[in-house]
Amino acid sequence: MDRNQMQMHRQIANIRKSLFDQEYLDEQFIQLEELQDNSNPNFVEEVVTLFYRDSARFLYNLDQALEKRPLDFSKLDSLMHQFKGSSSSIGAKKVKIECTHFRDYCNARNAEGCKRTFQHVKKEYTTLKKKLEAYFQMSRQTGPVERACRPR
Amino acid sequence: MTVEEIRGSVGVSNEIDRFPIGMRVLAVDDDPTCLKLLDGLLRKCQYQVTTTNQAITALKMLRENRNRFDLVISDVHMPDMDGFKLLELVGLEMDLPVIMLSGNSDPKLVMKGITHGACDYLVKPVRLEELRNIWQHVIRRKVESKSQSKSNNQDKTNNGGEGGQEAGSGDPNGKLNRKRKDEDEDVEDNGNEDDDPSSQKKPRVVWSIDLHRKFVAAVNQLGIEKAVPKRILDLMNVEGLTRENVASHLQKYRLYLKRISQQANMVVAFGGSKDASSYMRMSSLDGLGDFRTLSGSGRLPNAALSSYSPSGMLGRLNSATGVTLHSLTSPSMIQPTHPQNLTNSIGSLTKFQPVVLPTPPNHQNTNLFQGIPSSFDLGHLHQNGNKPNTQIPDFNPIDESRIFTGPSSFATLGSQSSLKMASSESFNLVSSSSSFLDVPPPMGENFHDQLPPNSSMKYGYSAATNTIPGFGSNINSTASVPLEAQGQRHGQYGKPSYSPYSSNAFSTLAAAAAAPPVNGGGLGGAVSQANDGICGVYNRSNGNGATAMQRSRETERSSTELKMGSGEEYLLEQTKLPSGFVANNGYDSLDDLMNGMMKREQDPTIMMDGEFGFDPYSFGSCIQ
Repeated sequence: MDRNQMQMHRQIANIRKSLFDQEYLDEQFIQLEELQDNSNPNFVEEVVTLFYRDSARFLYNLDQALEKRPLDFSKLDSLMHQFKGSSSSIGAKKVKIECTHFRDYCNARNAEGCKRTFQHVKKEYTTLKKKLEAYFQMSRQTGPVERACRPR
Repeated sequence: MTVEEIRGSVGVSNEIDRFPIGMRVLAVDDDPTCLKLLDGLLRKCQYQVTTTNQAITALKMLRENRNRFDLVISDVHMPDMDGFKLLELVGLEMDLPVIMLSGNSDPKLVMKGITHGACDYLVKPVRLEELRNIWQHVIRRKVESKSQSKSNNQDKTNNGGEGGQEAGSGDPNGKLNRKRKDEDEDVEDNGNEDDDPSSQKKPRVVWSIDLHRKFVAAVNQLGIEKAVPKRILDLMNVEGLTRENVASHLQKYRLYLKRISQQANMVVAFGGSKDASSYMRMSSLDGLGDFRTLSGSGRLPNAALSSYSPSGMLGRLNSATGVTLHSLTSPSMIQPTHPQNLTNSIGSLTKFQPVVLPTPPNHQNTNLFQGIPSSFDLGHLHQNGNKPNTQIPDFNPIDESRIFTGPSSFATLGSQSSLKMASSESFNLVSSSSSFLDVPPPMGENFHDQLPPNSSMKYGYSAATNTIPGFGSNINSTASVPLEAQGQRHGQYGKPSYSPYSSNAFSTLAAAAAAPPVNGGGLGGAVSQANDGICGVYNRSNGNGATAMQRSRETERSSTELKMGSGEEYLLEQTKLPSGFVANNGYDSLDDLMNGMMKREQDPTIMMDGEFGFDPYSFGSCIQ
């Protein structure tokens, strides 16, 4: 590995570390990484991509549901429950936390709280998406060997 | 039991020695992200993974070949079918270990998983470590079953029990009891046979329809509360059967009845209190007194019913189907697609007489429920073979009621497929509704007359039929039985309260129904319609079960046809149940269910399914 590559690896490692430190990601993401191997070289990225693609509809539905008057809290709760399940599967920590807040507001039937929290959810969701995209891109550039070097 | 033995029974020949490596898992989750993750995790454990995001597809795969998988992991919240329902069906039909998966760790849900028979409950996100141990559930089951076989042979299964002791917890009925009581046991379990656990791989007991019938008869005779495995075993007087076998079967039966009664409750609640009397009748039948309340108040007799809170069920129903039971009540709902059918079915419903309709000679299954009338009215359906006409009447409300009252637990037993359950449930509901109508079932033949084409009844049926969507096949066979043949029963049942669900069912049912002309009536076709309507109600909850019920009812009428081929099959399969619906004696349903299941197993070629256009849902893998 030449110098450049080593630098890149280090960079990627740092990015990754910061994602964890800033709590964008949690343990579950590490599980995903562990599942990645030679037979499944892009597992993590695949799962994340799948998540973003699939969860888009949840967000859309939630948006729609939040527009209705009066709000159907149980429906909102159920939609969010599924979305939360998905996000926790990829280890999206902050997203998951906001989802929990949302559900709390739902249970309390607090419409304002729900709407506000939902904005947070979307924000965290989008932020994480960008960060992960950058991360994956860089990882791809440095090559698959990077995977093995990733610090735990 | 030696490890080799266990391994050998696992299935995959080339993986036997390396078990748990290569264990075949079926993963079901509608969320693609979670499913992919699960897939990755399971592969990491070196299991052989098959995934699907639809419960219906999963069920289909399982039914096609029960031996294709060792374990099932399923999510709780799925759009096409409730995870718990799938769990029950798999447990009943294929007896495979099922693990529930959910993002929610609410203890109530966990409890629900337990009551439905799940062998484990995992919370998302799932971790690898948790999945590494799931193979224990497969082994445990094998061990338990082995011990049962062993005890069969030697009247003592201590070994088996021992072998399976590790899994002792897995089957409370079986092993532990066995072990403990072995000493005390006199005849059957005299246990100290030197059963060498590893000596032989005894085949599991197959609960054939006859066997099941005897079982039900024994249970009914003893009374559901007093029915203890030992006594049941004595009454049954079947050689080679052990107390453990009976015990575990009883456990399933109870679950089934419970489910049915829950369904019934639902129906009752909706049906309204119209026919308090009819309910009373129903309840009196098998002592499912709880249902009495149903009739009167139309409220769900929660107490009576199983653990599911009616509201929960309803909730499910509502959400799932979007069609609340309420709709059932509305007269508009009732659309008697086949007036005749309805009447028949309704008639049977009203007939709800707790009385266990005497099984017509040709009706083999009727005896199953002697003791437990309501839960298995389906048996009634079973009649089809013999005398559809007469049979059907019995089928009516009584069956339904039976279904309700019966312990839903049995549903699991009976209904191989979800349909079955549904049907029974639907039946229950339906019956309840019918009872509302207050058609005093003179037990049997007179159904038709009795049922006033009231809306309440009607929708009971319609609801039921609706539910059939998925299972149409099952129900079809049974239901299809042209109610018309029966005559007057209810003209209106057709109410598809759950149209969304029933629509599917109907088509299948209709197809099925068309076939059997059983009594000479066009019941087949009509019936299915009716069934659909009725099933509709339960569509959601039972999903297919309801329809199955419906169908079974109908099939009952047309039972002649149905009976014949699949006679047994129908029994169990709700849909197919000709007798399912309020079988003659009401208990038939259960029996039918059981039989159906067993039948299916025993005779994969049973055509009931085919005849009616059932789809592979039919019981393929019966109880084994």
